Amino acid sequence: MDQSNNHPYDELLAAYSAGSLPLSQALCISAHLEHCHSCGQRLQQLNHVGSELMQQLKPAKASDELKNKLLGMLDSLPQDLAQEQPREVDSRVPRCLHQFIDKGYDDLDWKRVSADIHSAELCRDSNGAKVELLKIKPGGSATTHTHMGDEYTVILEGSFSDESGLYGQGDFLVRDEKDQHTPVATQDRECICLAVTEGPIQFTGFLHRLLNPFIRRGYA
Amino acid sequence: MALMATTTGKSDKLAHLSACIGRVADKRDKSAFAELFDHYTPLIRAYSLAREPGADLVADELVQEVMTRVWLKAEKYNAKLANLNTWIFTLARNCRIDYLRRNSRYATEIDPTDIFNEMEDEGPGPFQMVQQNKAQQSVREGLEQLPQEQAEVLTKVYLEGKSHQQTSEELKLPLGTVKSRVRLALKKLEVLVTR
Ligand SMILES: [Zn+2]
Repeated sequence: MDQSNNHPYDELLAAYSAGSLPLSQALCISAHLEHCHSCGQRLQQLNHVGSELMQQLKPAKASDELKNKLLGMLDSLPQDLAQEQPREVDSRVPRCLHQFIDKGYDDLDWKRVSADIHSAELCRDSNGAKVELLKIKPGGSATTHTHMGDEYTVILEGSFSDESGLYGQGDFLVRDEKDQHTPVATQDRECICLAVTEGPIQFTGFLHRLLNPFIRRGYA
Repeated sequence: MALMATTTGKSDKLAHLSACIGRVADKRDKSAFAELFDHYTPLIRAYSLAREPGADLVADELVQEVMTRVWLKAEKYNAKLANLNTWIFTLARNCRIDYLRRNSRYATEIDPTDIFNEMEDEGPGPFQMVQQNKAQQSVREGLEQLPQEQAEVLTKVYLEGKSHQQTSEELKLPLGTVKSRVRLALKKLEVLVTR
């Protein structure tokens, strides 16, 4: 299962490890990781970086109250937190997408984008980014639309090629708005990709989030 | 000599804490859990306060979330796959992401639970274990020698949970500079496994 040739660049994987990546982009990394052992190993190392940085922090002791409260709670904690609920999703679907896909790709609400492409929107991120699946017919052109910002793509099934080469299952690609590539799905089968497109509303959303991450929590 | 002593001290401490997590898993031992609480809680609170200075209630809430998971998931912890400090870090990271999502003004429908593993599944073999331990030590030593400007971006990204964009705005640096500093820092820490 380690066949991908295109990986997230290091600082992106580090941001994933740090938990500071927008969740929409983290979805793409996670989908890639299911196909890429070497990025899994790099991630482990990057987690060590976080761990070591945490050890260097100046400790901030908790109150005895908190300790006693927690120790008193242990016996009454619901055990099901530890259990994972099995879901019956098609094994072709990456685990991180199970939250959006009940059964399999075929049951999604696919909408026609062009003669060659159908899309199924999965969700929006808080920064306005759109998360969708794209299905490109065999030999079809995978050029979708112009957009602002970067587009993150992970190939889930099939393959496509462009001027710079062939891309297969698990490959992770970032394209910016200036990108001139014209990818085409290979003839043998249809191609399904996870695509995250940053939206123009991102900028207001981002600032609000920066200023008000805890505002809804009434801690008065 | 002094450095050697600290390193040995640290690994003894970690071995002791790993034994504690074993006792929690096997015997539901509350005194072992209390030892883990005493050691890790100040670090978890510091991690939360790094992002949200002064927010003690938020920090306490993160402690509860993380330590609850330590109690419930102790059995799943596998010392062969991750060092205990790193497991606690990933738990704290995951709980913080979840907390931020639940309390963000601009809600997202994306549930982080299935995105972030608590332990990387594809663990190293015994030979690689040795390499991993070496690598972890080189991370530790490397951090001490990192130029200030690189340590600063790593702190923003890992401890304060800032995106590259946020980091660039706060440090008044071009986005490209932030990214290249992260990259240079990682290279110095030798964390990039050769593909
Ligand atoms: Zn990879």
